[in-house]
Amino acid sequence: MSFWLILVLAQDPLLPILAKQCGTCHTGKQAQGGLSMDSIEALKKGGKHGAALTPGLSAESLLVQYVTGEKTPRMPLGGELDAKAVSELRAAIDAMPKGAAVSKRDAHLDWLLKKPGAVPVPVVAQKSWVRNPIDAFVLAGLEKQGMKPATEASRRVLLRRIYFDLIGVPPSPEEMKNFEADTDPLAYEKAIDRLLADSRYGERWGRHWLDLVRYAESDGFAIDGERPTAWRYRDYVIRAHNQDKPYNVFVQEQLAGDEGKSKNQVALGFYRFAPWEADANSKKLLRQDFLNDITSTVGSVFLGMTTGCAQCHDHKYDPISHKDYYRMQAFFAGTAIADLPVGFEEAERPKEMRRKMREHEDAADAGQAELDRQKEALKQKYLSLNKDEEGLKKFLGKLNTRNLFFLEQDLPLVKEPEWREPLRRYFETRDGVQREQELARRHQAIAYAIRDVAPPAAPEIPDTYVLTGGDLNAKGEKVKAGFLSCVAGTEPAEIPFAGGSNGLRLALSDWIASDQNPFTARVMVNRIWQRHWGEGLVRTPSDFGKNGDVPSHPELLDWMANEFIAKGWSLKTMHKLMLTSATYRQASVNAEQATYAAKDPMNRLLWRMNWQRLDAEVLRDSILSISGRLNPEMGGPPVVFDVPADVAQGFEFFKWFPSSEEQQRRRSVYLLQRRSVLLPMAETFDAPNLSTSCARRLTTIVAPQALTLLNGALTRTEAKHFEARLAGAKDPVNEAFWLVLGRGPTAEERRMSEKLSLSSLGVVLFNLNEFLFVE
Amino acid sequence: MNRRQFTFGLSAAALSHLEAGTHHEAKADACIFLAMLGGVSQIDTFDPKPKLVDLDGKIMDWSKEKKTDQPNLFAKPRKFVASPFQFQKYGQSGREVSELLPHTAKMVDELAICRSVQSDNGNHPAAVFQMNTGFIIPGNPSMGAWVTYGLGTGNKNLPAFVAMPDFRSIPFSGAQQWGSGYLPAEFQGTVLRATNEPIRDLASPSNVDTEAEREALRGMNGNFAQLRSDYPDLRARMDSYELAYRMQLEVPRVLSIDAEPEHVKEAYGLNDPVTASFGRRCLMARKLVEAGVRFVEVFTPSQSWDAHGDIRKNHEKNARETDKPIAALLADLKQRGMLKKTLVVYMGEFGRTPDTPADQATPGRDHNTRCQSMWFAGGGMKGGSMIGTTDEIGHKAVENVYHMHDVHATILHQMGLNDMRLTYYFGGRNRRLTDLGGRLIKELV
Repeated sequence: MSFWLILVLAQDPLLPILAKQCGTCHTGKQAQGGLSMDSIEALKKGGKHGAALTPGLSAESLLVQYVTGEKTPRMPLGGELDAKAVSELRAAIDAMPKGAAVSKRDAHLDWLLKKPGAVPVPVVAQKSWVRNPIDAFVLAGLEKQGMKPATEASRRVLLRRIYFDLIGVPPSPEEMKNFEADTDPLAYEKAIDRLLADSRYGERWGRHWLDLVRYAESDGFAIDGERPTAWRYRDYVIRAHNQDKPYNVFVQEQLAGDEGKSKNQVALGFYRFAPWEADANSKKLLRQDFLNDITSTVGSVFLGMTTGCAQCHDHKYDPISHKDYYRMQAFFAGTAIADLPVGFEEAERPKEMRRKMREHEDAADAGQAELDRQKEALKQKYLSLNKDEEGLKKFLGKLNTRNLFFLEQDLPLVKEPEWREPLRRYFETRDGVQREQELARRHQAIAYAIRDVAPPAAPEIPDTYVLTGGDLNAKGEKVKAGFLSCVAGTEPAEIPFAGGSNGLRLALSDWIASDQNPFTARVMVNRIWQRHWGEGLVRTPSDFGKNGDVPSHPELLDWMANEFIAKGWSLKTMHKLMLTSATYRQASVNAEQATYAAKDPMNRLLWRMNWQRLDAEVLRDSILSISGRLNPEMGGPPVVFDVPADVAQGFEFFKWFPSSEEQQRRRSVYLLQRRSVLLPMAETFDAPNLSTSCARRLTTIVAPQALTLLNGALTRTEAKHFEARLAGAKDPVNEAFWLVLGRGPTAEERRMSEKLSLSSLGVVLFNLNEFLFVE
Repeated sequence: MNRRQFTFGLSAAALSHLEAGTHHEAKADACIFLAMLGGVSQIDTFDPKPKLVDLDGKIMDWSKEKKTDQPNLFAKPRKFVASPFQFQKYGQSGREVSELLPHTAKMVDELAICRSVQSDNGNHPAAVFQMNTGFIIPGNPSMGAWVTYGLGTGNKNLPAFVAMPDFRSIPFSGAQQWGSGYLPAEFQGTVLRATNEPIRDLASPSNVDTEAEREALRGMNGNFAQLRSDYPDLRARMDSYELAYRMQLEVPRVLSIDAEPEHVKEAYGLNDPVTASFGRRCLMARKLVEAGVRFVEVFTPSQSWDAHGDIRKNHEKNARETDKPIAALLADLKQRGMLKKTLVVYMGEFGRTPDTPADQATPGRDHNTRCQSMWFAGGGMKGGSMIGTTDEIGHKAVENVYHMHDVHATILHQMGLNDMRLTYYFGGRNRRLTDLGGRLIKELV
């Protein structure tokens, strides 16, 4: 019998209205917000916001708070209960006997807000399975449910798994054959070491970090102006990963690379990746938007806390007050964006950068001289036909228009055949000049960074106020910089103003990158886990709060967080630990699949390995690598990919100058990340939108992906080169399968393959599920 | 029936948050959104201001006005500009429409006009973002993506959401204007071009035995999926190939305009180079909706209506390019009995000012977020209705004021969705197209 029916029978005939109002959404397994109203128990259990009902205490019951509008959105959505119904409801709840309703969610906060203590490794029955402590935690969970882990994956599957995971391209046939034949019991560990030392590791894992910080090489909005040397941050991230820079140092450099012990102004680019409306009407608003973006991004990226939710009011779920938000924001109040002259490091190839900049500048100058000559000739030509001064002025002005197409629209005169050729050459020369200028800008020793405002320009750090409703015109209480007040043992910092460097951000980074911070290590360890398993132990990697996912293995997470700190915040140590675990080495099928899937459909207990689809970049890089054409050049200015001519013509504020074909075959991480022009293939395969922090890529399966991989230029072009690569092989079909799948064909596959040209076979193999999904 | 079972794509992640299709009975199955980029002047189209005739050329005093959103605009003296266009009453409803839009005027009894829509930002990029995504900053799902997320598609062989920009000048931030933001990628708009290859990579290469490739791919993928029957994505991905093959057949058929009768081509203005570009896309929009596409957005060139320099010249040019095709679209939908279930929306990112800088020789009009005139047609809207009053100079909406969020709420409502309930959890909270909620423009439904 439903709760409402009980009330109806016991209380008042008005209450069926309530049942009608709430019952359509809050029922069954699909109940909105996880709150089912099917029974009193269900109401006590509550949904994601906690228990809906506190027996005996109507004022504390969320149900009442929502229907009265005390909490928003007011329920029922789009409607309102009348006062009489509400008072009946209150009475019914108050009449219930008071009980001890314990919220699971408060326990979650108790766990989250305290730094992990020492975590004992659990004792398990099947000791022989355990390779390292990770396995003990996982197995303990399985054994509690009477479940057993899957068998170990084949050597072939394991090697492909670690290649895609660590460097983002598949092993070559030789590497695969050698590994399968290797009798060294440590062959797998050695393969991991080799890949961790491979510079392609930084390219693969750097991309994960770039997703998080919404890395882009343009401003977004209308003009979407390029950030010509933003790539230096990208290369910094790749280098930091390859050097295994301790994560606490990595964090500190990005938050306070100008103030801390480890100096790095390029790392400050972290602050700059918010979209930026260069021609905004209100500079004050623009600055506030920038500060909001930083406050929210720092919270979600480093702390896994959705601080941004407290911009307009107290956080609705987590203990982050409206005031906390602005205290956090005050750490950044003294900053201003700045493009700083910062010399190239040795790793950035300073000589080459200087040489190329000079070359492009010289070419631009030469082009400009030629352009001036052509312009003068056009002017004379115009005057020979027409003596009109005003017309000449207009004509010369129109020469600055976007391209010949628009010039012809504005000045029909130039459609005459005699104008065509000189004008075509003029625009070609002008494009050449712009291209060289653009390339020169990309080689400048400029860091896309921030600086502290300093006397005399700004004698004081601007005050920070709590903004009611986030509205810049609704200034409330003045606040000083301070840490999240919910974290035990942290007091608001008061940092004395110290000249050019005000030390505020350093204080913040000291707090974040500290082994005492309850969030930082857990959040990062979970991110590493997520990239290896496809899902984190907390599946909402940037939201560890009440509204986020409940961790499947909190003790394991804590143990690993401690280990991360103890091992000097080394990512590579954590990779090795995770990848050598028996948990990671499991096959993607379990003998008890059917039973286990019914019990634990999301595999949260880790009774097998998860499948993962290749990321857009990995897919593209792998195809290029298999065709033998991936250009391994690392670092430097972005590579501009081709776009269709009609698309390029539609860009109003910039020109599109594709890089050479050879450059376009470099790894995807080096492709231009322009917010308004995403690589179409990457966009189709779920690459991030470059405007918001992306903690977890979605995996969609849509028909345009099939069209892209069947008919798109990447597959078709590379399949031709794949064919050429196979030309000399003794058994080309066999070689083709080894290159793409790391195994030979079955008899049936061979039969099917021999009906195809080798280039068609390439296309088929690039489209196979076995290629796109890593077991 | 749950329409989402026909989602354009399938994925475990996406299917897991599929709930019921509509929240209430839908009045419209499809929406065609006509985006008049740059901002149409209300004063010169649907909101006549006779008072401006008296004030024409007089200097305006803005000292009492809040100037925050456009400080540069109001820094210098400005003068009033009367509309250079004559108004006349049309139809049984007797609504006034200017001579700029003679064709639309004939359809005025189908229109539900709102003359009081306001928005938050007077800069094109931010305002275009708001028109398409509800927010003035990038990164949010477009309204077409929200509708598709809410309803899925009504067909198996075509994308659910199609965007048709004008490639002479694409909207700011390009694909983000029809992107899926933080929603799964399957809800993003598919760009359709008026070329031989309307969808990117649709056509198979000509010199290849694609049938043999298809067979081999089916065979090998089939064997692999059989071995791993526990993993549904493998089957889903095979299905997506079958859908792709059907699209290869269906899209060219649906979009073949050559086969349309001559009078239809003539009506949409395909025979006139001025109207051909917009006309072609309006006709494609009708054909797409007919084939079950859920949401179609047709764009004018970026900033095309942006009449700072010369209101007459600019608006005459843009009206000529769009007026006839739009009227033809309405008439065609009506004649086919489709207008009832197809919501057509006409709007820009903001309206325009009643004045121009005092020193400007040819009078123009600048950006105005305080009011614009927009209209709905079909899809359960009340034809011939009108709501919203602006002050006597057409500077600001003063009665029955609505917001861009309310337009979005109304679109969703007509399509059977409640804007408060159409949510997606992202970044710590439930997100909506209308942020904290919009109001239904109830006077027009």
